[in-house]
Amino acid sequence: MKSQRGALTGKSLAILLIIAVAIAVAAAAFIGSRPDNARPDNDRIVKPPEEIDDYLFWEAKQLTDFKLIGADHKTLVLNDLKGKWSFIFFGYIHCPDVCPLTMGVLGQAFKLIEKNPVAYQEIQGIFVSVDPKRDTPELVKEYASYFSSKFMGVTGDTAQLDAFSRQMSALYTIHPKEAQGSGDNYSVTHNSTVFLVDPQGRLYGRFPPPQLPQEIAEVFVKIRMFYNEKVKK
Amino acid sequence: MIKLFSKILAALVLGFCASSASAESDIQIRNLWVQAAPPGVKVLAAYLEIKNSGKQQRVLTGVSSPAFGQVGIHRSMIHGNMAHMEHLKELAIPANASVVLQPGGLHLMLMDAKKPLQAGDQIPMTFIFGNGENIAASATVRSGTMEGMGDRQPMDHSGHGEHKH
Repeated sequence: MKSQRGALTGKSLAILLIIAVAIAVAAAAFIGSRPDNARPDNDRIVKPPEEIDDYLFWEAKQLTDFKLIGADHKTLVLNDLKGKWSFIFFGYIHCPDVCPLTMGVLGQAFKLIEKNPVAYQEIQGIFVSVDPKRDTPELVKEYASYFSSKFMGVTGDTAQLDAFSRQMSALYTIHPKEAQGSGDNYSVTHNSTVFLVDPQGRLYGRFPPPQLPQEIAEVFVKIRMFYNEKVKK
Repeated sequence: MIKLFSKILAALVLGFCASSASAESDIQIRNLWVQAAPPGVKVLAAYLEIKNSGKQQRVLTGVSSPAFGQVGIHRSMIHGNMAHMEHLKELAIPANASVVLQPGGLHLMLMDAKKPLQAGDQIPMTFIFGNGENIAASATVRSGTMEGMGDRQPMDHSGHGEHKH
């Protein structure tokens, strides 16, 4: 009996050791893959302050033209992003948890940004539904504006959605086979990052999950300040 | 004012009924709420804490509500920024422990809403456990965008919602 227990303890110790080694290897790989280590400092003309650097892309990426569809047959094209800071979130209305959570956080962040009236004037929220089969432009508009008057809602056909979302690597997958209940309750895997496009229509930054309103508001105000001082031409 | 008072009274009575009905149960349903959603939304989420003060593990096998066509136990997971949902057949509540369902993780997925819900509405729900016990509880619809999220803890990426007490 005793030796058996001893053997068990030895075994669990070995498992623990293996787990510890795996974590260490994963951590080393993670640290090694951090962009800061790989990136030479002269990659960008002006290095952003550290507190916003993690939220910015290495290089702002000019978006190419796209067309998404809003309510009342209104379209959203690249030109509509110019002159504004756009917060873009890809989701779907039948998403009961992550989407309302993220949209709610963004709505609260916009309220916090409102304390800076000039910055507030320059922001817009764009909710892109990647589930056009269920989410009509009218439903998407109603959904998005519920979270903030700053939000517009758009969708499009698969080609239009892909042409836009691929520019941000915001992949999505629809899972109709897992349908439950009425059969219309399929789920969609989507990117839950909030993307930030600058007033030149360039993909500039991102807020990965889990987001907090205070964090988004504070970081955005700093990003905008940095951009106005160092980047704007 | 009277309306508010009657709502509070109703909440108190409901709370009293719920606690007296489950007085003999080891299971307590706490802080049950439904995230308010825009009027056209047919799928909502409910959150709660399930406390098991007994010496045996208990298993939640289903939830029903007259306000919804179907209720499922779901878990949101985010891997590499990709959010997806997993349907759970059942949810174990270990002995002397609580399982918390909160935004961004475990939740009840409420499907096919029979009518639009507004903040303040009370929704009856029944929690069905593996041993045959049914526990009734009332969920409050609330606009979660303003409350309770400012102090939200970063998401638990391990995928477990349990905390031991």
